Amino acid sequence: MAMETEQNVYAGVYRALLAGMAASTLLFAAGVILALLHPTYVPLDPSWVRSHYRLGTELRGLLSGDPTAYMLLGTLLLILTPVARVVVSIYAFYVDRDYKYVAVTSIVLAVMILTVGLSCLGLR
Amino acid sequence: MTYTYQFVAALFGAACLAGFFGALLGVGGGIFIVPVMVLMFQLPMKIAVAASIVSVIATSNAGGSAYVEQRITNLRLAMFLEIATTAGALGGSILALYLHEWLMLLLFAIMLAYMGWAAYSTRNLDDERIARGDFERARPDRLSAFLDLRGDYYDQAARREVAYVVNGAPIGAGIAGLAGLASGMLGVGGGVLKVSAMNRYMNVPMKAAVGTSKLMIGVTAAVSSILFFMAGLIHFYVVAPVALGTTAGATVGTMVMNRLHSAVLKWILSLLMAYLAYGMLAKALLERFGVHLPVLAG
Repeated sequence: MAMETEQNVYAGVYRALLAGMAASTLLFAAGVILALLHPTYVPLDPSWVRSHYRLGTELRGLLSGDPTAYMLLGTLLLILTPVARVVVSIYAFYVDRDYKYVAVTSIVLAVMILTVGLSCLGLR
Repeated sequence: MTYTYQFVAALFGAACLAGFFGALLGVGGGIFIVPVMVLMFQLPMKIAVAASIVSVIATSNAGGSAYVEQRITNLRLAMFLEIATTAGALGGSILALYLHEWLMLLLFAIMLAYMGWAAYSTRNLDDERIARGDFERARPDRLSAFLDLRGDYYDQAARREVAYVVNGAPIGAGIAGLAGLASGMLGVGGGVLKVSAMNRYMNVPMKAAVGTSKLMIGVTAAVSSILFFMAGLIHFYVVAPVALGTTAGATVGTMVMNRLHSAVLKWILSLLMAYLAYGMLAKALLERFGVHLPVLAG
C-alpha cells in the first residue's frame, strides 16, 4: 500500500510537469520564430505589456500569428504548471488516503489563491 | 529594445549556460541569469528579475521532473517546506514591486557573496558523511516524525543506496521562508538557501536536497510570477528566449549532475558566484553613487 501510494503521487507529479513544459516550450518557440520573421522595436514598458491582457486581443493575436499572443500564452501556461502540480498532488494524496499531506498541500494552494486575490485587488 | 537575431541568439545562449549551471548545482539558474541580463544585456533590474523568475519555473519543470523520475526528490519534504517558501515569496515579490533598482542590485550582490561562501565552506562534508553512514543514523524531531519526512535515493557517484532521516523541521522551515522571500524579491529560485538549509540543518544529503529544492522552486516561483505578471513586469520577448535557453541547459545539466561528486560542484559554484557578486556590486554603486569600480569583463 505504502509503495503504491508513492508510485501514484510520483507519476502524477511527473506527468503534470512534463505536459506544462512541453506546451509552453512549443508556444515560446513559435513566438520567437514569428517575432524574428519581422524584427522590430519592442517597448520595455510595463503598461505596454499589460495592454495585451485582453481575451479578445489574445485570441485575435493567436489567429493572426502575432508573436506576443503566443509568448503570452506560453508564459501563462508556464506559471500555471506548478499550480496544476499542486492540485494534482492534492488529488493523488487524497486518492491514497494520506490526509495529513492533503492538508499540507492544500495550505500551499491557499497561498497561491491568496496571491491571485491580492494581485487582482490592489497591487496593480 | 530592438528584437534582432543577434539579441535573441545571445540571450538564448547565455540562458542555456545559466540553466546548465543551475541544474548542475541545484541553484535554479536565476542566480546566474539575473546578473547576465543586467550586466551583459543592460536590461532593467525589475524586468530581469521577473523574466528570471519565470525561467526558474521552466528549469524547475525540466530539472524537477527528471529528479522526480530518478526518485532523488523527497516529495513529502518538498510539500512541507513549500508552505514556508510560498508565504515568503508572496512577501518578497510585494517588496520587489516597491524597492529601488540599486537597492535590489546591492541585495543581489550580498546574497551572491554569502551563498558563494556558504558553498565553499561546506564543500567536503557530504562525501564523508555518506561514507560514514551519518545520514541514516540521525534522530528525527517530533514534527519530522509526525510528517514522516525520511527518504532514500540511489547515488550514482557513491554507487550505493543512501537512506536518510530528516530532522530540524522547524529551523528548516524558517530558512525556507527566507529563501522564498529572497526568491520573490530577487528573481532567483532560492535553491542555494533551500539546499543548504536541508543539507546543513535537516540532515538531507546534498543530491536529495538539490532534487527536492528543484521541485519546490517551481511552486515558489509561480507565486512571485503571478504578482509580477499582474504588474506587467514579465516581458514576453525577454522571457521566451530565456525560458527556452534555461530549459535546454537544465535538461543537459540534470543528466550530468548525479555523476559528479559534491565537492567539485561546490567549488565551481563558489567561484562563479564571487565573480557575479562583484559585478552586481559595481553596478549598484554606479547607479546610486556614480562610483566606478574596475570592471573585470565586458
